Amino acid sequence: MQTANVNRLTPYLFLAPAAVIMAVALLYPIGYMVYASFLDWNPSQRIGEAEFVGLRNYINLLGDASFRESFWVTMKFAMVVVSLEMFLGVGLALLLDRNIRGMSVLRTLFILPMMIAPIVVGLMWRYMYHPTVGIFNRTLKSMGFDPIPWLSDGNWAFASVVIADVWQWTPFIFILSLAALQSLPQSAMEAAKIDGATGWQQIIHIKLPLMMPVLIVTLLLRLIDAFKVLEVILVLTNGGPGLSTEILSLRISRTASEFRELGEAAAMSNYLLILLMILTFAMFLYNKAVELRAARLRKAAEEDL
Amino acid sequence: MLSLKTILTGTAVSVSMAGIAMADGHGGPYAPYAGTTLVINVPAHPHYNAMMKVLPAFTEETGIEVEVDQLQYLKMRERQTLELTKDEGDYDLISYVVFSKADYVFADQLENLAKYFMNPKLSDPAYDAGDLIDGYVANIGIAGGKKGYLPGPTGSLYGIPYGSETSVLAYRKDIFEKHGIATPETYDQLLDAACKIPELEDGMGGMASRAASGHQASHAFLLHLAPLGGRVFDDAWNPIINNEAGVAAANALKTIVDCGPEGSQTFGPAEAAAAFQQGQAAMFMDSIAFAAGFEDPSKSTVAGKVGYALHPEGVRRGSQTGGFGIAIPKNAQNKEAAFLLMQWLTSKKGDLMTAMAGGNPSRFSTYQDAALNEKYPYSATFGEALKYADPDWRPIIPTWGKINADIGTTMSQVLTEGLDPQEALDGVAARAKDIMAEAGYYTWQ
Repeated sequence: MQTANVNRLTPYLFLAPAAVIMAVALLYPIGYMVYASFLDWNPSQRIGEAEFVGLRNYINLLGDASFRESFWVTMKFAMVVVSLEMFLGVGLALLLDRNIRGMSVLRTLFILPMMIAPIVVGLMWRYMYHPTVGIFNRTLKSMGFDPIPWLSDGNWAFASVVIADVWQWTPFIFILSLAALQSLPQSAMEAAKIDGATGWQQIIHIKLPLMMPVLIVTLLLRLIDAFKVLEVILVLTNGGPGLSTEILSLRISRTASEFRELGEAAAMSNYLLILLMILTFAMFLYNKAVELRAARLRKAAEEDL
Repeated sequence: MLSLKTILTGTAVSVSMAGIAMADGHGGPYAPYAGTTLVINVPAHPHYNAMMKVLPAFTEETGIEVEVDQLQYLKMRERQTLELTKDEGDYDLISYVVFSKADYVFADQLENLAKYFMNPKLSDPAYDAGDLIDGYVANIGIAGGKKGYLPGPTGSLYGIPYGSETSVLAYRKDIFEKHGIATPETYDQLLDAACKIPELEDGMGGMASRAASGHQASHAFLLHLAPLGGRVFDDAWNPIINNEAGVAAANALKTIVDCGPEGSQTFGPAEAAAAFQQGQAAMFMDSIAFAAGFEDPSKSTVAGKVGYALHPEGVRRGSQTGGFGIAIPKNAQNKEAAFLLMQWLTSKKGDLMTAMAGGNPSRFSTYQDAALNEKYPYSATFGEALKYADPDWRPIIPTWGKINADIGTTMSQVLTEGLDPQEALDGVAARAKDIMAEAGYYTWQ
């Protein structure tokens, strides 16, 4: 009896170190943040001196027009950049999925933007957007057009940060899509060709559905990243003009350092975390539903035989 | 020949021996602390670069070594925030940005300087504190008096200004002369000139100003608020930023930015200064700390063509007060030696040495020094401007960070999105009222 118990415990014994490390490295910081979000904590205080205020930070934030604006800007930013990047990235991958000479060089060139440090990307674009000496306005002026207020008008500033982000992150989607495309089963493609499918039909009915699992993961990764983007916007506009480009991560950073409200910053991070978890969960459910449907169809097809 | 060399060497040795004797031997105020190493935290700023040049003289005179940790000023504040909460701090002396005064003093993290100035062994009778610029001492050094952040019967000294700044108007003498425009002395003249210049000079803006969303736009607005007769709060902490003076200040800023060089709406101080330096604007009204850059021909295309005038008068004179002070942290390990360094740096001698090396004086006497005026001809104007330095041009209270950011983003909306100034400031006032209420400023009403 004793030995049976010990035997049953053995696997857990082996798992224990990993579980402990997991708890310390992952759960402790998150728990700390969750706890901090219930405090009125100023960075000049130690955490023990901070006053416990319950849900006050969360409730205050809901009533804070700047926070809601910032939340909305974040949603808009994430939706716009991720849609554009998916469209361009997958499109490019479909175009370049063929044997062209020098393909590997081309591919390396394409992913260069992704490898540049975000601060540098921000600075680079900032100079290109410069109202007088920037390349865009100089070109526009030499062609006889009016200069564009890239960073000094709310709508243009939003467009400018979107352009910079799309420039940097489309390659990420491109390279994952390309990898997915190249690992697709050739038999399905050949079968489609023999059945006389056109190029578009192949893309819409064969390639895209088969790539879907990879695309969903890619989308999710990009979405999570887009919600957290900070450096490029920090350097480009610092959230301005007004609040037009003040995304949540920037507001969190300002709340902690400028407003000196660590508790509120933590509460904001938790709102962001909750939002991301909902998104991830929705995506996961969708994936599951698609899989179930495919399984049902397959089963029906098998029964028909 | 040989004997002469020997004699010379001998003299040199005896001189240095005498120096050591002064430091270790029969006393001198520095003797007990010779050999101590102080660790100080200062910003990467022209004034503190100048300090680096005079520190060796301090070490030579006192035998106290100084190790300097220089950081970008916002990073410096972050580091200090962490450092000051420790039981035993690494820094013996810190330089702090003026708006940190409220946070540090409120959290009881700085030494009250009374006990050091009372100590006859430490306090130098020739220090002459009356010569320190009043506006700076009030703004940077004193806490606990009127409204909590100004001098008054209940106030006391926590820091000493070192690297403080006020605002002056820098203008292009050549452009103003060419078009027969007089140096602006009032706000009407200033705004008039600001919009006349773009019409007269193709491609040149009137005045380069900070305006970027956030702290910069707020700073620019407050710069005009005080001279135009406004304040953020009245004496009972009710926001009055949305009164007539506030709207006038917002309109002034909007006029300046609209008539300014292209892209003004996103300028920070560095960009605004660069625009003036490269001849894209005819005026620049900001901290005196930028003057040295304008006169440096390797960076500036306008060196020698710049005139300096007092911050123009609105309904009153009121130039800004800002910059840095030095203080001893509560958790410092060598407080007395740190005080000696603080006293030495801000003494008449130390202040002049720093100013000659390119720093900003903290003493009236330094501004009157003939040698300094010869080296930096604008010093006399700056000294004059300091008489009108307004320590209350912005409130230095713990809730200021949040209100400041709100003023800044709202002002940016006025500048870029055409938001009505009155409506914008009404919004700021209402939100400021909530923030103040939450922080307990109306507890006694």
